[in-house]
Amino acid sequence: MSKRKRPEPKSSSSGINEDEKNILGLIRSKQGMGATTYEMRTATKIQPTLITRAVASLKKSSLIKEVPNMNNKGIKHFLAVEFQPCKELTGGDWYIDGALDVSKIEGLKEICVRILERLKSKVVTLDVIYSYFEKASSDGDKLSREQTREILKNLVLDNVVMEVKSNGLTDFSATRIGEICYKLTGKKSGGGEARDGAFALVPCGACPHIGLCTPDGVISPTTCVYFQKWLDF
Amino acid sequence: MTTTTEFGIVYAVHIITTHFGSVVSKVCDCLLRRGPLSSREISRLAESDINHNKVKDILCLLIHQNCVQAFSVEPPDGSESKATVQYIALFSNILHRARYSKFAKVVNEELGSQCGGVLEALLSNGRLTLEQLIDRDRDSKKSIGSEAMRDSLEKLVAARFVERVPSPEPVLGNKEEGPAQKKRGAKASKIFKEPESLEERILEAATPVDAIRFPIIFEQDSSSALADEDSNVSEKKRKQPDVDSSGPSNEVIWRPNFEELIRRLRHKACVEIVKERRDEGCANVLKAMLEVGRTQEKKAKTDKSVPMSMGSIYEELIKTDAGREMTQERVEECLEQMSATSSYLPAFVIETDDSYIVDFKSIFSVAQKDEMESVVMRRYGKEAFRMFRYLSQEDRFVETDKIADAALTEKKDTPQILLKMWKDGYLHMQKLAVTGVYMPFLLWKVNKLIVSRQMLDEMCHASLNVSLRLTHEMDSEKELLLLPMEKLEGALKERRIKNRAKIVLLSSTRFKLDDAIMLFHDF
Repeated sequence: MSKRKRPEPKSSSSGINEDEKNILGLIRSKQGMGATTYEMRTATKIQPTLITRAVASLKKSSLIKEVPNMNNKGIKHFLAVEFQPCKELTGGDWYIDGALDVSKIEGLKEICVRILERLKSKVVTLDVIYSYFEKASSDGDKLSREQTREILKNLVLDNVVMEVKSNGLTDFSATRIGEICYKLTGKKSGGGEARDGAFALVPCGACPHIGLCTPDGVISPTTCVYFQKWLDF
Repeated sequence: MTTTTEFGIVYAVHIITTHFGSVVSKVCDCLLRRGPLSSREISRLAESDINHNKVKDILCLLIHQNCVQAFSVEPPDGSESKATVQYIALFSNILHRARYSKFAKVVNEELGSQCGGVLEALLSNGRLTLEQLIDRDRDSKKSIGSEAMRDSLEKLVAARFVERVPSPEPVLGNKEEGPAQKKRGAKASKIFKEPESLEERILEAATPVDAIRFPIIFEQDSSSALADEDSNVSEKKRKQPDVDSSGPSNEVIWRPNFEELIRRLRHKACVEIVKERRDEGCANVLKAMLEVGRTQEKKAKTDKSVPMSMGSIYEELIKTDAGREMTQERVEECLEQMSATSSYLPAFVIETDDSYIVDFKSIFSVAQKDEMESVVMRRYGKEAFRMFRYLSQEDRFVETDKIADAALTEKKDTPQILLKMWKDGYLHMQKLAVTGVYMPFLLWKVNKLIVSRQMLDEMCHASLNVSLRLTHEMDSEKELLLLPMEKLEGALKERRIKNRAKIVLLSSTRFKLDDAIMLFHDF
């Protein structure tokens, strides 16, 4: 005759025990970041086996959900169902399944450059670019204002676009004085082009082993393969 | 002023080795690495067996070639010990030896080929008297005559391209009151200037006043008051107007004035940068501004020019063909354009009341930034380039994740990219340990001073490498290079053409690399 399993003591009418209640409270307090089992153990001092059981029970009751950390897939974060995972866990808007959507970003950057090239005034405000993405036909190209700003800022870091303040004259006639505008870099846009560095044009400028290179060493300018390639006419 | 890096020293020693041989270079290496030394200390410390007399001869050669300066320090008050003569290697002057062709070009363009020839003679000989210059001219195939030589020298001195040699052994005051000076309170700290380096102090003490340094030669007699007693110049007696009657002992010795020659190259580089970043009109206006302010520049590496009025700029501008095409309105437009500042380009000119100041520091900062960023782009890739630009803009410590967000780079790859740049000295990193967090936060920053120093070291390394490779390429086809081109055929001819192309590429690269070295070291 099998022994009847003793039911676990339930503390409240909602059907969860004391441990589960403590863990749920902790998870809720962590909002979008959630809590890892390690954090639960240190914060509540509950036995690891009981934590595993409580987490499984809370998941079964659909009170919490499991979200992987994009920085470390081995670490699982448990969030209360009412919260969305925060940027630190998912990586942000530009991440899909924990990986940066590089092709989408590059595509959007290309669109921005094309818009700037086509415009007669050569100067554009964030709103103009945003309105283009707002009206975009495909969902993939639809961007929020903040995302549009991020794309433009990224083009600035690429040194393809520059940020300028409107002075209300000539090219800026359609903008408010002092408003931040964007224009392409390069000779025609009046900002000039960044010069090619003399050092970068020598193999040593790009050499990963320059620290190991000495006149009579194993890596030396007379035996250097990069030099050989560079001087191979 | 002078920042000698490890490969800076190796490169300088390489230049001395190729010009004067390995024994001389050992003395130079010893001085560059250990700082000022007496001749006895050099003979003891120089790696190979060089006796004291030989060291003295080498020091004489290096002084004659303007690579070393002797000096002595005044003994402390009450001390009976005699001041010993010490020698300091002039790192900048050694590097200048690789840019003599640039100096000659500046003079050729401004004063013509005759003056260029005189300067070249001074550059290759180090120091010469007018008589020696005339003797050399007499022996050459294209002699221009003593009068023309004298005229050329006069022009060179008037334009400050040539100067009278400095004091052979200036005595430095015993400056030990450093900490006491600091106690003088808030007022003193307000006017506190960056302390001068020993090299700067020595050069300042050795340089005679302008009237002696650039005398109006040939117009005054030997009793000229220009050669005053305190000038410490050994050649105190002024040269007699009649060159033939004066002996070498009382003749003025001349040498190239690197300060002025570098100033001209600095101005040229400024105009080039403005031309690239703005337009031809702005470059012409800036050129006129530099011409107006040049005589009032106290040192070559000055941050800002003197203020100048619109009238004086325009007056200078219309002296040139390009300037005559510009109306005053257009000049005002250019000045406005150069005064504009944005996150992309800083202001090149500062407008104050009714005058304008050239901001040299900001002009060169743009070119230095381009040089740094292009290396980052080539060595570490596009993502690193964005991160580097972001950190340069922020100019503060930023956490890894924030950098990844701003540069839109994969968060997992960001630490590796940043670490690579940090290992090579392009980034500054700090760990921030937070209680309760297992891994410390890593904070990153671009420290422009450290990056500039790192770049300078690597560029000296690259310049050394290119120079060594050039020698290697020339040596490998030594025999082939001796044969006349018209006598070569087939494979041999092709080999010679290829070798020639390699030599041209390496030489032009070394030339351009030297421009970049000047950008970080001399400008």
